[in-house]
Amino acid sequence: MAARLSIVRAARQFTSSVIHRPSLIVPASCQRWQGATPSRLFSGTSAVASDKKYTPDHEWFTTTNGTATLGISSYAAKALGDVVYIELPEVGLEISAGDAIGAVESVKSASDILTPVGGKVVEVNTKLEEKPSTVNQDPEGEGWIAKIEVQGEAEGETMSAEEYKKFTEEQ
Amino acid sequence: MAPSRGLQPLQTALRRLLDGSGSIPGVRRTFSSFSETLADQANKVQRYISHSNDPYLNLTIEDHILRNSPPDAAVLFLYTNRPCVVIGRNQNPWLEVNLSILNPAKTQQAKDTEPPAIGSVDLVRRRSGGGTVFHDEGNVNWSITSPRGDFTRDKHAEMVVRALRKLGIDRARVNERHDIVLDQGHSRSNSDPLDTHRTPYMIDQGGPRPLKVSGSAYKLTRARALHHGTCLLASPNLHIIPDYLHSPARPYLKAKGVESVSSPVGNIGLQNEIFQKYVLEEFAIMYGQTGKQLDIKSVGEEYLKLPEIRKGYEEIRTADWMYSQTPQFSLSNSKINEEASQKKTLTREVKFPDGIDMHLTVHHGIIKECDIHGPHATTAEFQNIQSRLLHRKVQDIRDWHSLLTGGSPSGGRTASEIAHWLNEIMPVVDIAER
Repeated sequence: MAARLSIVRAARQFTSSVIHRPSLIVPASCQRWQGATPSRLFSGTSAVASDKKYTPDHEWFTTTNGTATLGISSYAAKALGDVVYIELPEVGLEISAGDAIGAVESVKSASDILTPVGGKVVEVNTKLEEKPSTVNQDPEGEGWIAKIEVQGEAEGETMSAEEYKKFTEEQ
Repeated sequence: MAPSRGLQPLQTALRRLLDGSGSIPGVRRTFSSFSETLADQANKVQRYISHSNDPYLNLTIEDHILRNSPPDAAVLFLYTNRPCVVIGRNQNPWLEVNLSILNPAKTQQAKDTEPPAIGSVDLVRRRSGGGTVFHDEGNVNWSITSPRGDFTRDKHAEMVVRALRKLGIDRARVNERHDIVLDQGHSRSNSDPLDTHRTPYMIDQGGPRPLKVSGSAYKLTRARALHHGTCLLASPNLHIIPDYLHSPARPYLKAKGVESVSSPVGNIGLQNEIFQKYVLEEFAIMYGQTGKQLDIKSVGEEYLKLPEIRKGYEEIRTADWMYSQTPQFSLSNSKINEEASQKKTLTREVKFPDGIDMHLTVHHGIIKECDIHGPHATTAEFQNIQSRLLHRKVQDIRDWHSLLTGGSPSGGRTASEIAHWLNEIMPVVDIAER
C-alpha cells in the first residue's frame, strides 16, 4: 500500500488529521494492484519520513516510501537486559499485521517481536547476527530489526513518541 | 481419558439416539471447560497438574496457558516428562546434543558406546530461551505464568526455594543465574532463614561448588511472563546426562545463538508428590489464597482434541522447528570452535580424509555455502560433492552417504569418507517417528 501511504504523507504537510480520512481507505482487494506502481508518482514528496510510531508491545516503526523500518524501543531494550540473540525473519517473507516476525533473547528469556504492519520483509539487519548487543546500545537507530514493504494500514494501537513515553511511565 | 477411537463413534451414535442433540456431553465439556476456566477473568489464581509425560504436549499446554489466561491471573502448571533432552529456542541441536545416542535401537553407533540404560530419549526445542536441559521421571517441572508488569526473573525461583526449605532442604538458594542450587559447605554459618539467596552452607571462595538442582527459562509476551524451571528430585540418570549433552560435533561447529552453560548437577532427594504438594501450597500462599479453597485441575492427552493445542503440538514436533529454527552456523573439518576444543568433549574421533578442507555454512536450515578443496582429490570430485550439498535442507538428509555418493559404491572414495564423517557429526533424528 505504498500509494496510500504516499498520499497520506503528501497530505500531511497540510493537515495531520488526514491520516484517518475515510476516502483514502482502499478496499482490500485492490491492495496488490495499488502496490505495483505508486511510489514513483509521489517521489517528490514521499522522501519525507513519517513520524516515528510506537506500539503497546514496545516496537517502534517509521515509514518512508512505503517501507516501514521496525525495531524495539529503548524502553524495551532496557527492560530486557543483555540481548544475546535476535531471531530475524527471512527476506521475502509475507507477513500480516500482528504477526511475530522474530524474537529477542536476553537472560534466558525469549520475547516475540510483533509487526504492526503487514506486507513483505525486504531487508533485515544482518549486523545484529554478528552483534546482537547493538539492540541494547542503539535500539532505535543502528539496532533496527527489519524493513517491511507495507501493504495496508498499521493495525492495532499506535502511539506518538510523547504518548508512548506516557504509556511506559504508567506501566 | 479420551475414549478410544473404536468406541467414540459408537458412543456418539448412542447419544444421538438418546438425546437427539449430537453433542458429546461429558468429554467435550471437559475440554472446553479447560479453555473457559483458563480464560475466565474471575479465576485470578489457577493451578494445573499434568498426568501426561509427553514433553511436546506439556510444553504445548503451557504455551496455551501463556496465551489464554487472563492478563492479571497467576497460573501454576506442574508436569513431569519422560526422558528427553530439551534445547533452548535459539540453540543448535548438533552442538548441544549427542544426537546419535538418543535412539539407540535405530543407530549403528550404539555398539561403539556404552549402552544407554534408558532407551529412547526425545529431542525437544522449547519456545523459551536459555540452555539445554535433560528431563526424566525424577525431575518435576514447575511453570508459572503471571502478569509481565510484576515479573522479576527471581520471584518464582524464590517461591520454589521457600517450598524446598519447608521440606527441610535448607541448602537451597537462588543463585545469580536465577537457578536453584544446593550449597555444599560443611559447616554452618549465620544466615537469615528468610533470605532465599543465602544459606548457612554457602562458601564464598574455594571448596566444593554448589550443585544445580533447578534451571530457569522464560517466555515473555506483551502482557504475560512465563517462567518455567526444572527440579531434579530423584533422577536415576545423573551419571549418563553428560553423555547426552556432550556432542562429538562441538569442536567443528561455530554457531550463532545461545550456548549452554554447563554446571554440576545433583538430586534433591525428594519424592515428586511431596515436592508438588509443597509447591502447590507455596504458590497459593504467594498469590494470597489458601490451598484448600483453590482447585487443582488435572490435564493431559485428552486436550489434544482441542484444535489450538493440537496445532501447537504438531508445530513443536516438526523438523522445521527442531532443525531449521537453528541459528546460522558453520561446520568445518578443522577444529574451529577453540573454546570447545579445549573443553572435555566426547572424543569419538572420526577420520576426515587427509589433505582436504571443507567448510559449510548453514542458515535457516539450508546449506548456503560449501567450500571444499585440497590436493588429494580432483576438481570434478569436489564439484560433484559441492553440487550435492549446496541448497540442501539439512533436516531432509537422513543419510549423508546416499546423498554424496548417490548410493552407488563407485560414488568416489573421497565423497564416501566425507559422508561417513558427516553421518557421525551431523545426524538428523526423526522426531515424528519417535
